[in-house]
Amino acid sequence: MKTVGLLIAFAIAASAAANDTFLIRNVDVYPVTGAEMKGVSVLVQDGKIVDIGAKITPPKGMKVVEGKGLRVYPGMIDSGTELGLSEVSAERVTVDTGELGEFMPQLRALVAVNPESEHFPVVRANGITSVMTYPASGGRGGRGGGGGQIIAGQAALIHMAGWTWEDMEINRSAAVQINFPAIAGRGGRGGNADFPDELVALFGGGPATYTEAKRQYDAQVAKLNEFFDAARQYQKERTANAPGFRRDLKMEAMMPVLEGKVPAAVSASRERSIHDAIQFAEKQHIKIVILQPREIGKAGAELKAKNIPVILGRTEALPENEDAPYDEAFTIPAEAYKAGVKFAFGTFSNEFVRNLPYNAARAVAFGLPYDEALKAVTINAAQIWGAGDKMGSIEKGKWADLMVTTGDPLEIPTQIKYLYIKGKEVDITNKQTRLYEKYLNRP
Amino acid sequence: MIKTFVAALVMLAPLGAEVTVIKNATIMTESSKGTIKGSILVRDGKIAEVGESVMVPQGATVIDASGQYVIPGIIDCHSHIAVDGGVNEGSVSVSSMANIKDVINPDDIGIYRALAGGVTTANILHGSANSIGGQTIVLKMRWGKDAQGMIFEGAMPGIKFALGENPKRAGNPTPARGAAPNTQIARYPATRMGVEDTIREAFNEAKAYKASWDDYQAKVAKGEHLIPPRKDLKLEALKEVLEGKRFVHAHCYRSDEILMLIRVADDYGFKIKTFQHVLEGYKVAKEIAAHGAGGSTFSDWWAYKAEAYDAIPYNAAIMAKKGVVVSLNSDDAELMRRLNTEAAKAMKYGGISETEALAMVTLNPAKQLAIDNRVGSIEAGKDADLVIYDKNPLSNFAKVQKVMIDGQKYFDRDNEVSGRPAKQLEKQRLIDKEKQDQQRQTDAQKKAGQGARRPQ
Amino acid sequence: MKNLVSALLLCCACAAAQTPSAVAIRNAKIVTVSGPVISKGTVVLRNGLIEAVGENVSIPADALVIDGEGLTVYPGLIDGLSTWGMPGTAAPAVTATAGRGGRGATPTPAATTTPAPPPARGPEDRPSTTSWLKAADEVQPTDRRLESGRSAGYTTAVVFPTRGFFAGHGAVLNLAGEKPGDMVIAPSVGQYISVAGARGFGGGFPSSLMGAIAYIRQIYLDAEHYALVKQAYERDPRGMKRPEYDRALEGVLESKRILLPANRETEMDRMLRFAAELKQPVILYGMREGFDPRAADLLKKANAPALISLKWPEKGRDTDPDEVETYRTLETRDKAPMAPALLKKAGVRFAFYSDGLEQPRDLQRAVKKAIDAGLSREDAVRALTLSTAEIYGVDNRIGSIEKGKIANLVVTRGDLFDDRTRIEMVFIDGVKHKPALEITPAGRGGAPTSGDPGDNQ
Repeated sequence: MKTVGLLIAFAIAASAAANDTFLIRNVDVYPVTGAEMKGVSVLVQDGKIVDIGAKITPPKGMKVVEGKGLRVYPGMIDSGTELGLSEVSAERVTVDTGELGEFMPQLRALVAVNPESEHFPVVRANGITSVMTYPASGGRGGRGGGGGQIIAGQAALIHMAGWTWEDMEINRSAAVQINFPAIAGRGGRGGNADFPDELVALFGGGPATYTEAKRQYDAQVAKLNEFFDAARQYQKERTANAPGFRRDLKMEAMMPVLEGKVPAAVSASRERSIHDAIQFAEKQHIKIVILQPREIGKAGAELKAKNIPVILGRTEALPENEDAPYDEAFTIPAEAYKAGVKFAFGTFSNEFVRNLPYNAARAVAFGLPYDEALKAVTINAAQIWGAGDKMGSIEKGKWADLMVTTGDPLEIPTQIKYLYIKGKEVDITNKQTRLYEKYLNRP
Repeated sequence: MIKTFVAALVMLAPLGAEVTVIKNATIMTESSKGTIKGSILVRDGKIAEVGESVMVPQGATVIDASGQYVIPGIIDCHSHIAVDGGVNEGSVSVSSMANIKDVINPDDIGIYRALAGGVTTANILHGSANSIGGQTIVLKMRWGKDAQGMIFEGAMPGIKFALGENPKRAGNPTPARGAAPNTQIARYPATRMGVEDTIREAFNEAKAYKASWDDYQAKVAKGEHLIPPRKDLKLEALKEVLEGKRFVHAHCYRSDEILMLIRVADDYGFKIKTFQHVLEGYKVAKEIAAHGAGGSTFSDWWAYKAEAYDAIPYNAAIMAKKGVVVSLNSDDAELMRRLNTEAAKAMKYGGISETEALAMVTLNPAKQLAIDNRVGSIEAGKDADLVIYDKNPLSNFAKVQKVMIDGQKYFDRDNEVSGRPAKQLEKQRLIDKEKQDQQRQTDAQKKAGQGARRPQ
Repeated sequence: MKNLVSALLLCCACAAAQTPSAVAIRNAKIVTVSGPVISKGTVVLRNGLIEAVGENVSIPADALVIDGEGLTVYPGLIDGLSTWGMPGTAAPAVTATAGRGGRGATPTPAATTTPAPPPARGPEDRPSTTSWLKAADEVQPTDRRLESGRSAGYTTAVVFPTRGFFAGHGAVLNLAGEKPGDMVIAPSVGQYISVAGARGFGGGFPSSLMGAIAYIRQIYLDAEHYALVKQAYERDPRGMKRPEYDRALEGVLESKRILLPANRETEMDRMLRFAAELKQPVILYGMREGFDPRAADLLKKANAPALISLKWPEKGRDTDPDEVETYRTLETRDKAPMAPALLKKAGVRFAFYSDGLEQPRDLQRAVKKAIDAGLSREDAVRALTLSTAEIYGVDNRIGSIEKGKIANLVVTRGDLFDDRTRIEMVFIDGVKHKPALEITPAGRGGAPTSGDPGDNQ
């Protein structure tokens, strides 16, 4: 008995010294799924949140972090990035999104994630602890190249730190990304002057008539449905496993989708596209998440009725057309909230991922309740991607993915003091802070 | 009256109300008065008085700004809105003959949206496709006025230079792997070395051009009758640079090109007024400060191209600390609406104070454009370009409520929001009318088709 | 002997029966435009000119008499800015309008056999400039649009070269003649300037609107300087380097006025201001937003006339039903045909031009649209006759039915712009032309079309 006790004590002592075990004390805790608690302590053990309370006495040797004057929140989650897959967006050789091929569900974003990408430490420094990273530019045909892809591959949910992508993996196949066909418009918008109009003029200019555009669209939707039908047929053959049956990697990748285990992440902006995507999902009996919907006002009822969650794009966006209200993009989250649609935020552009909380904050000025904004960058994202039991809030048993801040993380001047992923403190210096130090001190 | 849909119901201040008092606000004056709680008296387009308490004249329009914040109108030092027919004359490497002033588009909805984001003045620049680009102009966001009415009277005109990737890339689209550059359309320069050469060559030519004109003018002054030299618009603009009559705004990224341009300017005896973007300005802040140029930069853009890979959000703070007048700009119609919170980023990255951060989008750009005698702070005698926010403007939760330019109200959020249903109705009316007309025509055609063939 | 001579003369007269020495149209309604309408009167034409017009005009004995009962006589219509007769500007036979809203397709130039010049490196390369070109020299009398124009009641067109920044000189031309020279009423009435040539990267200088404007400005500066130098050289060439002959500048100096494009109100403002800077009398063409009250103010202040395009903006065909156009676009489509009536009320001088329309039916419908939107019929006729002549300074010769003016007339059965009205004949320089039958299935006066209801919308 004594040996066991000793062993336990030893274990605690050992883990007390482990780098994913510590206590933060005198800190204001914002659990997100519950009321805030001022001036309490949080006990983290073996990477998990073990206790939150007013008086927790740390065992001897445990690392104690002084939290006086600070706050602790769950680490934030960005539901739309290409982190690790794209370094300098204008330089194609550094970009690994947008593969060739129309139907490529077997591609895995996870294995192409470069853990050394400078984007990780830069983004972490503002409190983001995990992200969804996608195999194709989220919907808008950005500078990442590629295109003509209907099924782009598997998006991964990853932590923002690790020696390898295996280390970083939370869910290697959190969604299969589908660029649902869209009825071609009549040319893209102009670029900003940093990219001369001449280059942008290469894009844009679709089919001349609606009839033709609709025809092309119908043909593509038919193709997509055919592919799914083929997958279903494969499913039958796979179950039957008759002699001579051969595994097909593309079809294999479709199985979890058909089984409802992995959702399809579908970009759809206008009400018509959202509706078409929902119809498609129903027809094929699959789960979907809609990426970057804009006409939530109109599509909200259908989304709510079918319990379809959405990932909202940046609120920092211009209205779609000249007549739209100037605050159109700022009000979309409030509309989603009013419609009862579950949503999280995604920035869909590596260089702005660190501004994730500010996108959420802007919506608060235009009708979104503050608490909803916070949820949309934490627990909602975790739940939408199937990790709601492990992260997204400060609750016992969840991973200690935490950010310790000097104030409200949705306000810009707030600093991140400490960041933890699975209880381990993560370095929040990065190339930019180092260049800062270096050149501040240039004689 | 054709004015775009959205702004049709912007209510300008009622006629005759040249006197306005904004009462009981937190006023961030960006002047020696600092931030005070008080009122502002506006008369005849100017700030007449700022103080804790201000006498309200008879008949004045009173805006009760209790609980609200007032700041000087935001000045965006780098913008491309309100331009017709392309912002780049990218066909040649030196396009100084082109002038933004000729193509001002007062109908651009971007102007209204900028207003809704608190911007009252913007430095409208030529694009970055050329080593030496076109002439530039400063505009006030006077939505509803015609092109001339938008011009900031008396602001020194400018010219745009561009260094680094953009002028290289614009002339030389990347050839296919292994292929030789397409010499048919390749436009010199293709390297940073060539960019320097292009600028030096142009100023060499400009110097000779100036000499011929100086010579001519000297002779005429002595009473000689001569045919003047041919006026060359391209060289004329550069001559003005040499004479200090035109500001140079240079788009740049890397420290080597920033230094290069400073040395070129030194050699030819002119000054760079502002470095734009200047994302590596922090590396050569000392040299920039010594030259006397301002730095107008992004808050936190990076990694979108190779030359932006060393960009750091502390750029503004370091340059400011080393004595450069720093502004934060947008170069983007969307970002233009959020310069107030961009300013807050200077507080986050480098510990800049609230006042200094706000200066980076108000007084500093005013200084950079040499219009600080007119705008950039809330002081008696300056233009009444004022923005009222419902909360501290450096907060993400703040919204612009009202914007005033030259004492006239140009944006009012309450009116804008309440006016939306009416606008929507009006638009729907036009849509329905057109549908009906088309239906009527289709019916008439069908009828005509059914009629008997008439004899010849 | 006298009898023999008269007999010979008579034979000659018989042989030349196609062109009588005099024509009289009697008992017709006559819309002179320059004066009140004559409800029943007579016009006499001789030697290609109007000899007499009035209620009680005596008919010469040698005149071919045309019974004008039930007919109306107008001055021949004038297309205010035209490409009829210019080689390589006719639209392709089948016009499938693209699905884009707003203005329809403009005529595409025929493929040239000459290789494209290298991209211009600056104003000194004189990009897209043929300012010396004269429509009067280029016109092809065999152009089928001359015939379709006549069938629509037009006798005259102010024809311009239209390609390039400085396209060349326009001429007032009659729509018939054996040789091009016969057609010319005035050989050089203005320089056509456009900015549409600024076509993105790869096309050389200029590639932007501001570049085009800078180019035009530079040309005028160069022309001014060139004139100075030439003048000085002419006075005394000794010791002076001779000025280099520059036909682009010669062409510009020769022009007595310029035509500048402007559709949006802000473009009108810009172009009028520009013309004032260049010190050139100007005519604006396009005028899609002519209904904007500010347009009238600008034109009045600049004392400039306007050429209004008859190609009213139309909704594109086969467009996405989900896509809603901007308010500005909708309003422009709704109000554009009101521009003539509004400009008339404001006292602005204007005339119509075909802007690529060729078919008589399309031309008639377009004018009718302006009438339905408030323009009086009298003003509509004037905008196609005397106003046009006045704008180009040829109103002392054409544009109205007055003694001594050129015998250009159109004779109709019915009011000129009504759907059912038929053009009976036109007179050009006193020579009668009958409209071609069945030009297209939808030709005026022909059998009603049995095609899709959407045709010719």
